[in-house]
Amino acid sequence: MEFEELRKIWDAQDNQPLYAINEKAMYNLILSKKKQAHHISNISELLLIFVNLGAGIMTLAMNLFKQSVNISLYVLSAWMLATALYTLVHRNQRIKGNQQFDRSISGDLSHAISMASYQVRISQIMRWNIVPIAALTLLGLWEGGKPIWIVVFVLLFFGLTYYAGGWEHNIYKKKKRELEILQKKLGNES
Amino acid sequence: MTEKEQKQIFEEWLNQHKALIFKIVRVYGFTVVDQDDLFQEIIIQVWHSIPAFRKESSVTTWLYRVSLNTAIKRTKKERKHYQSETIDGTKHILEESRIQTDERLAWLYDEIYKLDEIDRSVTLLLLDGFSYKEMASILGITESNVGVKINRIKKQLITKSKKYDHYGI
Repeated sequence: MEFEELRKIWDAQDNQPLYAINEKAMYNLILSKKKQAHHISNISELLLIFVNLGAGIMTLAMNLFKQSVNISLYVLSAWMLATALYTLVHRNQRIKGNQQFDRSISGDLSHAISMASYQVRISQIMRWNIVPIAALTLLGLWEGGKPIWIVVFVLLFFGLTYYAGGWEHNIYKKKKRELEILQKKLGNES
Repeated sequence: MTEKEQKQIFEEWLNQHKALIFKIVRVYGFTVVDQDDLFQEIIIQVWHSIPAFRKESSVTTWLYRVSLNTAIKRTKKERKHYQSETIDGTKHILEESRIQTDERLAWLYDEIYKLDEIDRSVTLLLLDGFSYKEMASILGITESNVGVKINRIKKQLITKSKKYDHYGI
């Protein structure tokens, strides 16, 4: 067959719809998802900001209330507040950067890659951020004379969080790699 | 834009251009379950895209961009779905037409499906009669790049169609 013949076969389908739409189910779906404009990174950023802000303020308030001289816990609250601020600043930069991409498939892929790079970077930073937070928390517990089982429990908790952070980080890395492959396929042969 | 206006535009677009979305769904979804999942994702993206439509391009071009963007980025997920496929049937939006499809059209769809994600988009745009310039604008690549891809895809499809003719399938 020549290409024009293939096109004729292709065009003929316009008179015969391939599917029928269940309109009721479709509008129910739109109704349930129409407010779902938030991207996953938006949720994880907000979670990071609120968790660090909340935990930082709470630790600071408890220290001040108890008139504690536990330096580690003061450093810990300052660290968590700084983390919340860092995430907030980067979130604003990300949102501003969203308007720099054109509406073509290549532009959309570039945007998706930029988002994925951001997620890779932020997940890596947040994973490493667990180390100082864990160290300061454990030091605070030690200085506060807490029983050893609490220290072990907290250590295990941070260990699991660190592991989960690595798992999340790898998902973003894989997604980024897939998008880069697509971008490469689109751009080659020029 | 009010929700009523958005719904009105959505209905209008879908009535006039559903064939376009059906083609993309068929080309990027291997099983009926995949096709239904992809259709759901595309219509959600189309719905969200309505307020951003500035009439700088035709509705067809806009819908192609939105739908292909969704389809291309979804391919990897789709493969996983295919492996763990469960047919539920209760929440499906698409129902396959009972009209007998032309055998040659089914073959053409199969051949397009065998191409990679990007080449599938180029082939769809080519078969739907877009110019090099329009394709370049939708894909965000140069016209010469589009030309090279088209030449390669055309040769590939013609060679395969000759084999198809030869075996008289």
